[in-house]
Amino acid sequence: MAGYPEFQVYEVFVQSTQLSPHTWVGSIDAGSPEDALILARETFLRREKAVSIWVVPADQIHGTDYEDPDFFAQETDKAYRLTSGYTADNARRWRKYKRELLDIEKDFVKD
Amino acid sequence: MSEERLAEFMARIERGEKIEATDWMPDDYRLAAIRFIQMHALSEVMGAFPEKEWVPKAPTLARKMSLMAKVQDEVGHGQLLLRVAEDLARPLGKGREELIQELLEGKSKFHNVFHMPAPTWADCGVIGWLVDGAAVISQAALLQSSYGPYARILQRVCAEEGFHIQHGESICLALAEGTPSQRKMLQDALNRWWEALLLFFGPPETDGQNAQVLLKYRFRTKTNEQLRQKYLTKYVPRIWSLGLTLPDPELRYDEKQGRWIYTAPDWSKLKAIARNEGPLSQYRLALRRNSYETTRWVREALTGKAVVA
Repeated sequence: MAGYPEFQVYEVFVQSTQLSPHTWVGSIDAGSPEDALILARETFLRREKAVSIWVVPADQIHGTDYEDPDFFAQETDKAYRLTSGYTADNARRWRKYKRELLDIEKDFVKD
Repeated sequence: MSEERLAEFMARIERGEKIEATDWMPDDYRLAAIRFIQMHALSEVMGAFPEKEWVPKAPTLARKMSLMAKVQDEVGHGQLLLRVAEDLARPLGKGREELIQELLEGKSKFHNVFHMPAPTWADCGVIGWLVDGAAVISQAALLQSSYGPYARILQRVCAEEGFHIQHGESICLALAEGTPSQRKMLQDALNRWWEALLLFFGPPETDGQNAQVLLKYRFRTKTNEQLRQKYLTKYVPRIWSLGLTLPDPELRYDEKQGRWIYTAPDWSKLKAIARNEGPLSQYRLALRRNSYETTRWVREALTGKAVVA
């Protein structure tokens, strides 16, 4: 006998600060979205601090299929899109002018 | 089941890919994985009982709070792991209720250590220190499991077990550095638990058919004996360094063989426990049944079933 078939699975996303993204942490069974939020807090936030929880009925999530890796195929070299595609060459050139390579974290974000 | 499909599945396993709940998988993988995760989940839930007994009797408020936190974690782990088992069991028409019902009917096992009594506060400490230590050795080895949803959720479980281990060590170190009667209480608890701790990892040959299936599909990657040896290496020297003894005159590390020698525990006890014929098997199952039935109204209220006119 199925005892409580009305329970459904909710995927749980937790945001730890307002400047961080909601991150998937797991899933829970609950009878309603309101209960899901409480159960999610009890299950995933007994220690960690958070500012927001999202619960989403698992059957409402549309996702790609692990069995279709072609969806993520990267046929070409992506170096031209990447910081690392330029740093070595630029650093070498700047050395001639006794200048160091600028770093986004060190020189812009943290400075 | 087509041979081709099975071969492709095996190739995925051998490439180190992770299997997901919605992927095709052979029946023996699904059944062995359900059995393993179900037992893990139910052991977390049943594991709360021996320690829960000590919450009202904890020696200080601080100990009571930390023990309570630990018991909540264990039940929380049960919830997380049951979720993982449910997704695997769904194609078999089973849900959470059925997975729990199988425990209450004696069809599904829970871990041997939770069939044992915890008569003193030191037993409570030894459970945290040495039972949880054993649990983390097994669970950390499963972080690489071929079953993705299990490996992912174990990251959280293992992180919280880190707290449990420190909590258990804190209790045991305080007793080890305490009065002669506190030391004796700790030594007595160790003597009581040692055999159960050796039994914990299962027989050396990893004999069960289930275990062989799990190893073949890299759901598990370490054998029972590999895990036990790692456990002995981590814990025996620590136990000895506190001036405590273990009730096995044969216990020693053999440099030449590169392994621990120990007197084999009585494996038949493990079989008896699997039939729920351990010291407190029926007592604890009765607690669980009682708790499950007396809280049924809560589950029904949460689904709107209990609405009365």
